[in-house]
This record gives sequence, structure tokens and C-alpha cells, in this order.
Amino acid sequence: MNLLEAFDVSVTFKAFGYEVQAVKNVDFVLPQGKVVGIVGESGSGKSTFARVLSGLQEPTGGYVTYLGSPIQDGKDIYKGELRKAVQMVFQDPYGSLNPRMRIINAVAEAVRVHQNPHKSEAQQIALDLLKRMGISEIDAFKYPSSLSGGQRQRASVARALSVQPKILIADEPTSAIDQSAQSQLLELFSELIKDGLSIVLVSHDLGVIRYLTDNVYVMQNGEFVETGSSSKIFENPSNAYTQKLIASIPSSGKK
Amino acid sequence: MSNALVQIDSLRIDVKVTRTRRLTIVNSATFDVQPGQLLGLIGESGSGKTMLCRSLVGTLHRRGAYIQSGSLTFNGIDLVSASGKEWRDIRGKQIGYIPQSALAGPNPVLTIGAQMAEAITLGEKMDKEIVRKRAIELLEIVQIRRPEVVLKQYPYELSGGMKQRVMIACAIAREPKLIVADEPTTGLDVTVQAEIMQLLKQIRKDLNTSIILVSHDLPLINEVCDDIVIMHAGSTVEKIPSAKIQDTRHPYTEALYRSRIDLVEPRGKLITINGQPPTVGDWPTGCRFAGRCDYVKPGCSADVEIPSVKVGPNHLTSCIRQAEIWGK
Amino acid sequence: MSSNKAFSADASRSERIKEWISRPGGFGIIAGCIMFVAITVFGFIYPLVGPYGTDEFVGESLEGPSLAHPMGLDQLGRDVMTRVFAAVPSDIGIAFLGVTIPLIIGTIVGILLGISKNKYMVSFVSSLIDGINAFPLLIIAIAMVTFLGPGLINVVIILTLMSWARYARIARTRAVVVLQQNYIEATQLMGYSKRRVIAKHVAPNVSSESLAYALSDFILVIIIVSGLSFLGFAARPPMAEWGAMIADGRTFIGQAWWLTIFPGLALCWSAISLSFIVEGLSRRDRGNS
Repeated sequence: MNLLEAFDVSVTFKAFGYEVQAVKNVDFVLPQGKVVGIVGESGSGKSTFARVLSGLQEPTGGYVTYLGSPIQDGKDIYKGELRKAVQMVFQDPYGSLNPRMRIINAVAEAVRVHQNPHKSEAQQIALDLLKRMGISEIDAFKYPSSLSGGQRQRASVARALSVQPKILIADEPTSAIDQSAQSQLLELFSELIKDGLSIVLVSHDLGVIRYLTDNVYVMQNGEFVETGSSSKIFENPSNAYTQKLIASIPSSGKK
Repeated sequence: MSNALVQIDSLRIDVKVTRTRRLTIVNSATFDVQPGQLLGLIGESGSGKTMLCRSLVGTLHRRGAYIQSGSLTFNGIDLVSASGKEWRDIRGKQIGYIPQSALAGPNPVLTIGAQMAEAITLGEKMDKEIVRKRAIELLEIVQIRRPEVVLKQYPYELSGGMKQRVMIACAIAREPKLIVADEPTTGLDVTVQAEIMQLLKQIRKDLNTSIILVSHDLPLINEVCDDIVIMHAGSTVEKIPSAKIQDTRHPYTEALYRSRIDLVEPRGKLITINGQPPTVGDWPTGCRFAGRCDYVKPGCSADVEIPSVKVGPNHLTSCIRQAEIWGK
Repeated sequence: MSSNKAFSADASRSERIKEWISRPGGFGIIAGCIMFVAITVFGFIYPLVGPYGTDEFVGESLEGPSLAHPMGLDQLGRDVMTRVFAAVPSDIGIAFLGVTIPLIIGTIVGILLGISKNKYMVSFVSSLIDGINAFPLLIIAIAMVTFLGPGLINVVIILTLMSWARYARIARTRAVVVLQQNYIEATQLMGYSKRRVIAKHVAPNVSSESLAYALSDFILVIIIVSGLSFLGFAARPPMAEWGAMIADGRTFIGQAWWLTIFPGLALCWSAISLSFIVEGLSRRDRGNS
């Protein structure tokens, strides 16, 4: 069963008389329980496309469906209860959390609005969720500025998960954090996948894509130039651009 | 080791935080660089690698930092006590610098030509035509197409990769003996990164320049460099030939190596380094990796200086327990 | 990222306080606060508990400072010290209103402007704001006073009418930046109501900058209120108010320096104490980056 599908999606930006087509007529599928990667270099349009999937960006052409029904209804995208189904974490850990809100409150707020109105129960649920993400009770009561980049990313994931989504869209989640924080975040994602979460992972880091994804879409200049299972793409890429990408990955023994 | 180009011994760099408070950013750095060697310097944020680079190009004072103790020699010249005048003779001429691509870069208000002219002349009077010819020659070395056109362009017209090539061209303008490259490809696309690494290797070969390549990316350093120096929490903890990285004798290097994502099966168990790197200034006593080390014993945190011992040709490590863990 | 033992849960209260003070600017903030609170508290309490009344004739006119009257008596035999402190609600209190009211109005308008998608409305209001900001505050205030008539309440009204635009400009600029942040997009993903987003996510992040500006503005407004009273446009006799007292004392400045110096010192004290706080805060900000 396909959770998300994109049909002929395009996104064109207009600024100062110029028109830029960031995404050009792409099709996309996220099957249930799978992790699909979108890999591309800067300027490829992958972040823009990720935002279309999450509902933050309205496509100028084409449409996206969730479980078969279009996500857009008039001017609203993911209206009402549907909004909970798809959540997103962003690249920049420094702008992803409200600097004037303690982590625990940011997560508890989401719980209160969607699940449980009692303040103390919501706080407990939020604490448990944060603990699962590897954030201790002491850290949960801190402000974002007191936490490391890796911890902030995990807090953002906690917030996203607090509404119990079926799909998590991660836009370059590991790019702005330390090596060790990266591994911790990826391990967290692995566990969430085992628990049934479907993920769309956007990244320029081929190592991360190779590690986490089942299927991969390779994006260049707004188009998908190749797609397939991640093992096939990495072992036997057919497109020239994909081959160039794979060849650029540093690996030991190749001097 | 007496013909080493750069010799660093127990270098300590402190920073003046307030009128009274001092912070030690680099506690003890010890390694040497041979002529024509491509040395990788790897460490996480907070390891002190950037400050170490600054000490090699003489820009510590811009961050309020200074060398507290230890020695730093380049080509026989003592850089610890070098005066501003001596630095002007070294910086740009004998030691070149390539900054991190995302942070610094060509001056946005100067054309590429003007930028390169600065790097070529370094303030000295030179014939304009000679400078121009040299600039074109340099741009060709860094594989920029149509250099005459690029000379007239401004940085905003160039891609990240091209800007970085220009920075490399500036760094090699006076054919320095040493180039310090501080994370030159961080933030650049992986295909561009591969090309720039090729370029650096070519430059090393053609000019016999030593290059210190700083990065947090172990697979990259491993592939490109001859030897690797690993830094953690302000100290150089190991120096090892990159071909021998698997025979490491330091738990931190081992942990870094084992946590490489490209060696793990998809969704396989990722080996992570526990905990967070210690926060700068809040250093624990003894070995600073003890809090995250798999092999830690109580003696590791004893308040003593941890020496750097030689465990093989070109292989130094500062783990007190290395003989126990990996045998003699 | 901050790295300090005082952040860990086991730091004791006194350790944390000491750490707070030792960071850059700490001393200035504390000193300024103590000074400002002192004069404000004295201002509100002393006239009530002190031995003399504000308008009471208690002795010979123009008597110099003495033990009974540390700041001397004015030309009508009134105790200067009582009057200096009695002026606090007028000077500081009115200035306070003259800052907080425009702050609230301006910040709300600024945030609404930042959110609005109606290009014409935004354009119109922005131009209005720029127009109002173009005029020098004190000059217009004087002009409006001749129009509205003197009085402290009128001054508050004038200040509100003129100052809200400055706060609106600051709030709007800040709101536009805040609205582009990922955490605001996250609220969209969470499906929060617009009201919640504005109240809990936008406003707190916008107002931090407005509040910082308000503190500096406070200093300016205290001086403007006194200045207007000095010129005779605000407080009228027999009201106790520093500017007015200085104006009255001008005539006697040769024989009775205490009539002008003490209200002047009170004015300086207020302004300087607030400046300490502002300077301390800005040093702290710079030190933390």
C-alpha cells in the first residue's frame, strides 16, 4: 500500500520578474513501512519537494495524495485530523525550536492540543517521549540554547512524534550536527522504523542514504534522474549523474 | 625527525575570555609535518583543531588567543615568538591558508582578479602584466575554465566549488612550503569535494608542498591523506599512517573508525560514541576521553600529564592503557 | 553553547547567583536595579511617611539644607526633599505609562502587520509608521501641547500617539524574521490555531527586542517629560515635578542652589540607573555571542 504519492508535481518560484522551476514534473511513491530517500546536491530541488510532501509548500502543478486522497482541499493542505499524519524535521537545529520555550513545554503543548487536555498528564507523556529520544528529564526542562545540536534535533523529532504521525519527512536532519550526534540520530530513526514509522529522508549525504533507505530517488536540477532500491542504486547505478555521485564518496582503500 | 618542516611540541593555546578568565583551548599538541606530506587533522568540534590552524598562520591574536607554552617551529623558524614583521614574511609566502568554504571566501566586494592580485603581490610592487599572467596561470592550475573571464567576475557570480578553487589559487600563489586547509570542502557537494581533493593531491605532487588537511570526516581523510593526527578535547591523541588506521592504538580513534557509517550494513547496529564531547573549559582531569571510553579504568582519570608514546614507525599514541588493550 | 557547572542541577542557589553576576554585565544590571528601585520606592513611600507635606509651608522661604531639611526649603517654604520624592510618580510614573502604552499598542500592530497577507494594508500602515517616525519627538510634542493644552495626562496621550510607530516598526521587522523560522513552520505542521501561534510563539520572540528598546526609551521619555515640564508644557504648579522645580528654581539659582540641584540630581539618578541596566544587558548580550 502506498502512503504518499506525488503525481506530476512542479514548483515554480517567481521573483523580480524571474521564474525558477525548482521542481519539474516529478512522480514519487512512499510505500507503507518503507524508508525512501531523496538524494541530490544543493540546488537540486529536494528540499522544496520535501516541503510539498509535508504540506508547507503548495505545488504550482500536479498533486500529492495520502492513502489515495489528495492532500489539498481548496486552499488548505492536510486539513483537520489529516495534519497529524505527516510531520517534518528540519535541517537547522538552531531554528527548529522556539527559543523561549522549554523543550518539555514545546512537546507537551502538542500533546495537550491533540491528545490529552490535562496539564500534568500531558507533561508526563512528553517526558516519556523525550526520554525515548535520549533526552533526560533534567535536559527536558532546559531551553533550547542549553542543549547541543544533536539534542535539539532529537527534541524536534520528539515534538514531531507527539502527534503520532504515520510519516516523518526528514530534511537533511544530520547535516548540521556533529559526527557522534549523527550516529545517535540515525540509530533513533532505525528504531522508529522498526516501530512502524515510514520515513522520507532527504539528504546530500550518500552514506546516510545508504544506511537508512529502502528506495532512493536521485534528484538533479528539479528532476528525478534515477530511482530504484537503494542496494541497486549503490551497487549498480545506471544513470551517469548517479554514477558520478557514487564515485565521489570517499571510501578507504581507494587512493 | 630533524628535517621536519613543521615541528609542534606540547603546544598549549589559551584564550582570554574576560579580564580575569582564561580558557585552555588546546591543551597539548604534538606532531610534525614532513616536506611534501599530506597530513590529515581530524577532530570533533571543541577538539581545538581550528585554534591549532590559527597558530600556524599567526592569527591567534584575532580571537584573543595566545600560545601559553610549548614549541612551534616552521622551517627552523620559531613561530611562538615570531613578531608581526616575521609573520608578514611567512604568511601567504611560506605558509598558505585555505579557509572553510562556508565561512570565509573571496572578498565579496572585490573582483576575483583583484583578490588574486592581493594574494600574488602581498603588498609588494609588481608589474601589472606579470601579476595578471600569474593569476591566469594559477586559475588554470586549479582547473577553472576561461580564467580571463573569471578574473573580472565577483564572488557572487561563482558557485561554491569555484569560489573554493579561487581560494586555493590564492593560497598557492607564492608556492608556499606549507598549506593549511581548514575544512575546505565542508558544505560543498560531494562531487565537488572529490574534485577538490584531487586538486590538492595534484598540487602536493607538482609543488612538493606539505598540506595539513583539517576535517571531521574520517573516511575523507583516510582516503586522501598519508598520515592522520587525531585530536580530542584539546590534545593530539594519536598520530597514525592512514593505511594503518585499523591498527589504531587509541580508543577514541577506534571509536571514530568503528562508528563510520559507510562500514555498517544498512540499518545495522551503528556503533556510536557514548555521551557528548566534554565542553570547552570544563575539562576533566586525566584522560579527557575517559568519560566515553569503552576501556576506561579508574587510573585513566588520575590527575597526571598523559605522555605521547611511540608504538610503531610514524605511530604515536597517548593512551595510558594501550599496551594492555592491544598488546605490545 | 553555554558550558557551566551552574547549569547542572546540583549547583546550589548561591553558586548560581554568583555565576549570574560574574558573567559580563552582571554588576551593571544589579547596580542599576538597586539604584532605580531605591528612588522609585522612596518616591512612592517617603511623601506618605515623611514629616512634611508636599505643599506644606513649613518654614522660612529659601532656607538652606539643614538636618531637619536635608535638601532645604524652596521659595514658598516647602520642604524640597519631600517634593523631590513626591515628583517620582509624575516623572517616573508618567514616563512609564508613556512607554508601556505605546509598547503594547505598537507591538500588537507590528505583529499583525508581520502576519498580514494583505499587501495594500501592509503598505499603507507601513508608510504611516514611517511617516510618524520621521518627525522628531520632542518638537512635535511641543507643537501638540500648544494644541491640546498642558497637563501630564495630555503628555501621555501625545507620547502614545507619537511613539507607538517606533515600536510597531521594531515589532514588525522582528515579526517578519520570526515568522520565517522553522519553529513557526512546525506550528503549522502541528495544526495549531493562529491565535495560539501568535500568543505563544510569535509574541514572546518579538517582544524580547521591543522590551529591550523600551528600556532605553524609558530613559528618553523621563527626560522628555521633565523637559516639557521645564518649558511649562506639562506639569503645572503646585504639582511636584522635577522639570517644573528646576524651572522655578532658575530665578533663585544664585542664592538657593538647592532648588535646582536636587531635582536635577534626582533626574540624573533615574536616568543613570536605567543606563546601567541597559549597558549591563547589552554587555551581557555581546559577551554571550
